[in-house]
Amino acid sequence: MTARAVPSRRADRPGIRSRLAREANATFAIAWREVLRAVKSPSSLAFTVIFPVIFMGVLGGSISQNLGGALPYAYLPFMLIGMVANTLYQGTIVGVTNLVEERENDFTAELFVAPISRYAVLLGKIVGSGIASLISLVGIVAMILFMQIPLNFGDLLRVIALAPILALAGGSLGVFFIGFVQDPKTAGAGVALLVFPQMFLAGALIPVAASTGILGLLAKLMPMTYSIDLARNIFYAGKPEAAFTVLNSPWIDLGVTIGFFLVFTIVGTYMFVRADRNR
Amino acid sequence: MDPMIQVEHLVKRYKKSASPAVDDIAFEVGAGELFAFLGPNGAGKTTTISILTTTLAKTTGAVRIDGHDLDREATAVRSRIGIIFQNPSVDLHLSGEENIRLHVALYGLYTYRPFYRTMPVDYRTRIEELADVVGLGDEIFKPLKTFSGGMKRKLEIIRSLMHRPGVLFLDEPTSGLDPVSRHSLWQYLRRVRAADGTTIFLTTHYLEEAEEADRVCVIDHGRIATIGTPDELKAELLERSIVLDAADRAALLAELARLGLAATVDEVGLIRVTYSGPTAQPLISRLSTPLTVLRVHDPSLEDAYVELLRSTRETAA
Repeated sequence: MTARAVPSRRADRPGIRSRLAREANATFAIAWREVLRAVKSPSSLAFTVIFPVIFMGVLGGSISQNLGGALPYAYLPFMLIGMVANTLYQGTIVGVTNLVEERENDFTAELFVAPISRYAVLLGKIVGSGIASLISLVGIVAMILFMQIPLNFGDLLRVIALAPILALAGGSLGVFFIGFVQDPKTAGAGVALLVFPQMFLAGALIPVAASTGILGLLAKLMPMTYSIDLARNIFYAGKPEAAFTVLNSPWIDLGVTIGFFLVFTIVGTYMFVRADRNR
Repeated sequence: MDPMIQVEHLVKRYKKSASPAVDDIAFEVGAGELFAFLGPNGAGKTTTISILTTTLAKTTGAVRIDGHDLDREATAVRSRIGIIFQNPSVDLHLSGEENIRLHVALYGLYTYRPFYRTMPVDYRTRIEELADVVGLGDEIFKPLKTFSGGMKRKLEIIRSLMHRPGVLFLDEPTSGLDPVSRHSLWQYLRRVRAADGTTIFLTTHYLEEAEEADRVCVIDHGRIATIGTPDELKAELLERSIVLDAADRAALLAELARLGLAATVDEVGLIRVTYSGPTAQPLISRLSTPLTVLRVHDPSLEDAYVELLRSTRETAA
């Protein structure tokens, strides 16, 4: 060891002075870490790409061939928009709930002893997981080409531009979930329960416009219903199919999504931090 | 001057636990002090360190770090402390350098940039120097999955010092390190203290590391068993002695009796004389009988620690 590298507080210490800038910088760093983790993990990378391929190709393709003809609109673009929204939403949930595992292997200690707010930590996780979930679009685009889905790419780009809202909405649900579930095994099973029922009940693959009774009620209760419907509102704006494909006005979808985001983020963050410190 | 760490009536009772893990402890640590916090497994060391570093909520009591209240000014406290956790707190998916880059961004030292080459020259120079210092070299750019336990520890040490903390909490920092790495780590920490006056709060099971502490605090069953300098602890708990022998053993025993010094003779005939004070020099200088054996028995901190825990448990039983 050499003396030259001994740090000294007396020396000019670099640093970001503004509190807001420090929080933003930390959020960005945490978000980028999520992207790096996604890129550096080949197995999760493969799963992220293959997941939409399986659901779009196998399930979507089968529904399209057997039931699609009975619908007053083209099923494949309907399903595609649902799957884009679903993938971004659910990918962010999975990324955020990874915090439970990180708490178990002690990495969260490094994040939670840093002089930044808990909201910056969780926002960084949400943003990073949202960006990482965009990787799944590779699989979706591959399926668009393979299944020859008739699509105006301008419409698709508008839906993808909704990615930040979808990621924030999904991430906030992930935060809410980890606020109440601390055990990694329970979290693993719980995430599956959070992801798969929503995929079917919220109308990602299967139309829910005609759902009634308990299924209709569950569709209305699913937070993802409003995010997917917002995406379809954007995609079908000004098109005659909108009368059959869209559930609510875009403003209702946006309002409910923002409401869920605020409640989930605030309650989830409070509960997560409380559970972490109040053992 | 205010103490760097001030703990008053600290209590921590875990949920569903019958007895508190930390039971009404109080101590102060001065600025620049090396404070060793010792105790057997389960004594409450890690619980205390977790509370002081804001990762665990206390049940009752008051804690101030560098003048900042732990409850009301947690962010200010966090910006003034550095920590090496008992279990490595690193991201195995990232490289060593990426872990440090994340850390400096969390502490607001540098604007985060996604690629190492785009980070400021000052940062890159520092990383390369520190990697050199702890012997990681270019390995620091490799994924952490390829690191040994010792290499991860070294990385954590670099990381904890990047923001130049006023107080460094070391929770068994050298566990898993080989003797050479342990030695070089302590050399480095000594230099950091000398250059910066960093306060160090240390828990360790290697008691020779605590020998050079300014003060030692022993905790057992959540309560403070004793606190003082290593010398005070040894003096309080153990007797210092010298072992003597002479060709004319009878003359030596007579001289010791004449000087009023109590001597005991062991089974092989060696004479043991206890003494008080920091050194045996005054006692030895009074002897005129030619000696054939002279050994000074200076008990170690480990001897004192073991004796303390033994007597504490005997009293409790």
